Amino acid sequence: MKFLNNYSNRELNIWAELILDIIVSIYFFPKIFPLIIDGQLYSDALVGIIATSIIISIFYSVFVFGAINTLTKKEEKDERDYIYELKSYRISNIISQVSIYLLIYLIVFNPINQVRLTDFTAPMIAMLLLIIALLSSTGKSLSQIFNYRKSI
Amino acid sequence: MTQAELAEKASVTRQTIIALEAQKYSPSLELAFRIANVFDVPLEEAFQYK
Repeated sequence: MKFLNNYSNRELNIWAELILDIIVSIYFFPKIFPLIIDGQLYSDALVGIIATSIIISIFYSVFVFGAINTLTKKEEKDERDYIYELKSYRISNIISQVSIYLLIYLIVFNPINQVRLTDFTAPMIAMLLLIIALLSSTGKSLSQIFNYRKSI
Repeated sequence: MTQAELAEKASVTRQTIIALEAQKYSPSLELAFRIANVFDVPLEEAFQYK
């Protein structure tokens, strides 16, 4: 547990968040690509993959974040933390907005142009929203880690 | 005075003090005044603009 002393409680939480994004990506994407190739994106398999990803996230959050906050001393946020948090939320917000506008564009303009790229079923939209959440969370964590490591 | 003691007196984290010492972070005016108060010196003695 000595390595934990090299990082603040906040930084450990950010690393844990990034690792969670990586774990979910490692589980999610290799399972999604075969479905895309086989044209099985509308099957129940997609719902199962999304549900499992969410369950993995919940269990990971309970155990890992619980362990970090139990083993390390919690610190109050100071002005530097707030500045880095705002910078990372800005990046996360840009990623989410661009992705959501792109999603809206695809949903709205597909029927108008009669270009059936794909049918936007509920599981399909859930999958796309999960990818958006993953991207924005990864962007946020990476930006925070970059700022914290840059200034030490 | 240790970094942890200064951090506690100035109400910031130890990582912020490390960043300040390494000149990788510019404090707000309020934090600069708090740190100068901890050392009981004028602001211009605690911080210099380069």
